[in-house]
Amino acid sequence: MNPLIFTTILMTVLLGTMIVMMSSHWLMIWIGFEMNLLAIIPILMKKYNPRTMEASTKYFLTQATASMLLMMAIIINLMHSGQWTITKVFNPTASIIMTSALAMKLGLTPFHFWVPEVTQGISLTSGLILLTWQKLAPMSILYQISPSINLNILLTMAVLSILVGGWGGLNQTQLRKIMAYSSIAHMGWMTAVLVYNPTLTMLNMLIYIMMTLTMFMLFIHSSSTTMLSLSHTWNKTPLTTTLILITLLSMGGLPPLSGFMPKWMIIQELTKNSSIILPTLMAIMALLNLYFYMRLTYSTSLTMFPSTNNMKMKWQFETKRITLLPPLIVMSSLLLPLTPMLSILD
Amino acid sequence: MMTYIVFILSVIFVVSFVGFSSKPSPIYGGLVLIVSGGVGCGIIVNFGGSFLGLMVFLIYLGGMLVVFGYTTAMATEQYPEVWVSNTTVMGVFLLGLLMEVMLVLYVLKSEEVGVVFKFSGVGDWAIYDTGDSGVFSEEIMGVAALYSYGAWVVIVTGWSLLVGVLVILEVTRGD
Repeated sequence: MNPLIFTTILMTVLLGTMIVMMSSHWLMIWIGFEMNLLAIIPILMKKYNPRTMEASTKYFLTQATASMLLMMAIIINLMHSGQWTITKVFNPTASIIMTSALAMKLGLTPFHFWVPEVTQGISLTSGLILLTWQKLAPMSILYQISPSINLNILLTMAVLSILVGGWGGLNQTQLRKIMAYSSIAHMGWMTAVLVYNPTLTMLNMLIYIMMTLTMFMLFIHSSSTTMLSLSHTWNKTPLTTTLILITLLSMGGLPPLSGFMPKWMIIQELTKNSSIILPTLMAIMALLNLYFYMRLTYSTSLTMFPSTNNMKMKWQFETKRITLLPPLIVMSSLLLPLTPMLSILD
Repeated sequence: MMTYIVFILSVIFVVSFVGFSSKPSPIYGGLVLIVSGGVGCGIIVNFGGSFLGLMVFLIYLGGMLVVFGYTTAMATEQYPEVWVSNTTVMGVFLLGLLMEVMLVLYVLKSEEVGVVFKFSGVGDWAIYDTGDSGVFSEEIMGVAALYSYGAWVVIVTGWSLLVGVLVILEVTRGD
């Protein structure tokens, strides 16, 4: 793609999310979502094969439906309150419709079906933008309407997302689908605590984006999109093998690493609000996630995965230089002692 | 009938939406889009917004829909689908019509309708003049406000249109 046009379109994606995050008028928020959607379609379609076109079409259809539902919720809110500001949603029906629309945009269950298919059909870099940047805008709107969200609907969607994200990722060997299911599960964790303490949602979003950025960049660095291809990194760049191990365990939420911080704080906040069964269930279902991360680490770092002799040397073009990879790796594994700094997120 | 003109126009609006949502071929979808655009313009004009209604006719029907019609005419097949040619299309169209007819009967018969928002029968749809519109018409003041207080909206929509053109060129380039 012409670099000037590519820059313009990428900047429009950023501008769309910025408009969503900084507007106080519901119509501008809707405009920001649509601008974001419009501009990300050519980024998803960077390579022109039928796979990417099908993935972009699916993404466009689901997100456009979600925007329409959002517009309907905005209009019902307008009818009942007579004003367009975004402080509080004044009508339960509008609140439910808006929550469903934003859940469709995020990829929460029962609207999660597009996430693995779209993520699989696009290139790794586009998948990176899809799973990290595109989650910022809907989550910021959920944060802003969090006092008026119906708790039952949101918690149902959250728990089902954690279950689907863990269970659905179990049979996958394609790395992009694994990351998609991981994204569904993490979105579930984020929305579970949204009504109780939205600051923890933001913390989880921050740490999730760092870890997902790291994982995708490690995949781009080793040009691997399947588990088999990833298991050959030990003879090309053995250091990335160790880093993949550490980052994957951090994504699974294991204690001395950063990924444990959001899960710990979320479970603590939920138990402070006297719900015991829910965080127990969530923690148990996070084990499913941990299982397939560990399977990735087993085949990649912990063993020399069996392959025929002519596959032992991994053939790829020259190693890509990935900016910001070392700081990201450090941040996604070593941030746990900084947990008391959580208070600055208020 | 003139008091209920907005209600009648809204019913025709919904029926034409059903007409193109039941997916006949695009050229016939464009046909009912013309009808729905015209009827929508009528609804806006009845609320006092004559400028905006004529803008709908000019820009939407006369600009966008004409271009859509020409491109569809270039790309259409030899025997395009009508509503009665395919059983599925006819079935969906009749189902939509049936639901609209039931809704209209519900609104006409009952005193108060409380589906998502309450309105009491057909009476709430009638336009009446409160007589308090002041010296200038509200809708022209709204258009003026778009270009003064709403400058940011103009910038954003202008940028979206430019990026829309770039996006469409990129998507249809096809390597």
